Amino acid sequence: MTKDILVIGGGIAGMQSSLDLADMGLKVHLVEKLPSIGGKMAQLDKTFPTNDCAI
Amino acid sequence: MLDVGRHPNIELLAYSEVEKVEGEAGDFRVTVRRKARYVNEDRCTGCGACREKCPTVVPDAFNEGLGNRRAIYSLFAQGIPSTHTIDADHCRQLNGKKCGICAKTCQAEAIDFDQKDRLLELNVAAIIIAAGYDVFDPSQIPEYRYREIPNVVTAIEFERLLSASGPTGGHLDRPSDRAIEAEIEELEKTATKSQKVLSKLEEEYGESSAAFYEKYQSGAYPDDEDRKKWADKYADHLAVVKPLEALKKKAEGFDVAKRLAFIQCVGSRDFRFYPFCSGYCCMHSIKEAIIAHEHGPETTSTIFGMDIRAVGKGFEEYKIRGGNHSNITYVRGRVAEIVEGPDNNPVVIYEDTRERKVKRQEFDMVILATACAPSKGIAALAKTVGVELDKYSFLKTSPLSPVDTTSPGIFVCGCAESPMDVPESVAQASSAAERAAEIAFQMDLEKEKAVA
Repeated sequence: MTKDILVIGGGIAGMQSSLDLADMGLKVHLVEKLPSIGGKMAQLDKTFPTNDCAI
Repeated sequence: MLDVGRHPNIELLAYSEVEKVEGEAGDFRVTVRRKARYVNEDRCTGCGACREKCPTVVPDAFNEGLGNRRAIYSLFAQGIPSTHTIDADHCRQLNGKKCGICAKTCQAEAIDFDQKDRLLELNVAAIIIAAGYDVFDPSQIPEYRYREIPNVVTAIEFERLLSASGPTGGHLDRPSDRAIEAEIEELEKTATKSQKVLSKLEEEYGESSAAFYEKYQSGAYPDDEDRKKWADKYADHLAVVKPLEALKKKAEGFDVAKRLAFIQCVGSRDFRFYPFCSGYCCMHSIKEAIIAHEHGPETTSTIFGMDIRAVGKGFEEYKIRGGNHSNITYVRGRVAEIVEGPDNNPVVIYEDTRERKVKRQEFDMVILATACAPSKGIAALAKTVGVELDKYSFLKTSPLSPVDTTSPGIFVCGCAESPMDVPESVAQASSAAERAAEIAFQMDLEKEKAVA
């Protein structure tokens, strides 16, 4: 039986889920409709409340 | 992002969409459409030589239309995968015109105009939906005049203007000033061209165009066709140069935006649109005001809000720090209208609820803290995957199982579930990952029923 997981959306939430699952040893298929992952967060300059770089 | 791209257990299917889902928890059969990039992913090195030569200029959606990209592009510089993509709607070659410059430029021979969409079949145990959200379109609010007044922008547009990798390199150049600068550039190009033609004529006839034109206008050369052409050219040239000089003079006074207004709850907590609170907008307005102040210490910001909701670890302290050290003034009140004042300055009309007075204040730029709207494609995706939506079109969940959708084995995280900020999205994502892993590892499926 399969243990693969499908994640739809490559923004911060989809990326975090994918990494967590992949680190557990599960195979993840991450589908993103745009040419690159990153989502809205990649468009941001900095994040609150620490002013860390978003990328 | 890099970690995702490099992880051996992650198969990254970018530029793809889920087309069909069948089966049940533990055994889903999924069809994914891998959209044609017209670039061979295995060959493209992401060097960008094609992009530099591409003649077709398209507004750049990543920069919210504030900059341009080419028809062959990478979404953004650090994008993963770095494979370039041809925008089939704008590419000359794909629209039947003669071009193919990118194919000639590409040393890796990665360009493939004949590439077709491919369908991929997957068998998975669980599905996580992290489809995100859309920024509310504030042009639906007529009194804020977004798109009518150029210096009224959305928070995400402002974010791109603040970003060092954005269209202004991090300078807070106002959109109205940028439009005039673009116009100057265009007029200069035209003027240089007409000047070249005039210079040739001046050489031929041995006098300056201005001197000739004066004589011509006083009727010195009747029935001289060649000189008439020269005169017409000169008149055209003047028609370009005069407004060009005026614009250049105007542009000398341009400065970066220093007086900023942030308007909260644009589209959210508004019964005409979304009654809910989007949660993160108070904080991103404070953040943008703090960053703008870091860019220029003389920058002052006014945040207009019904109340500032700084709920989260370290958020209230951040708000106070912004007020004390970053020239932020918080005004309690709802903005009634934005009008355009002199020099493209937006004027904010609002009620100061503390003083019970209606006031007007002029700014260099106004930033709208737009609501978190459900993603446009979510209804179609929910139908494909087989999950229910709530009344706003976010995914339906229950308070005791906030990552479980209405279908077993399908989970949700991030703003597809409800508006939330980055830390919350990350926490929910880990939670959804764990729920999905339970299914994969066959940990008792009955447990969720007991909880519900």
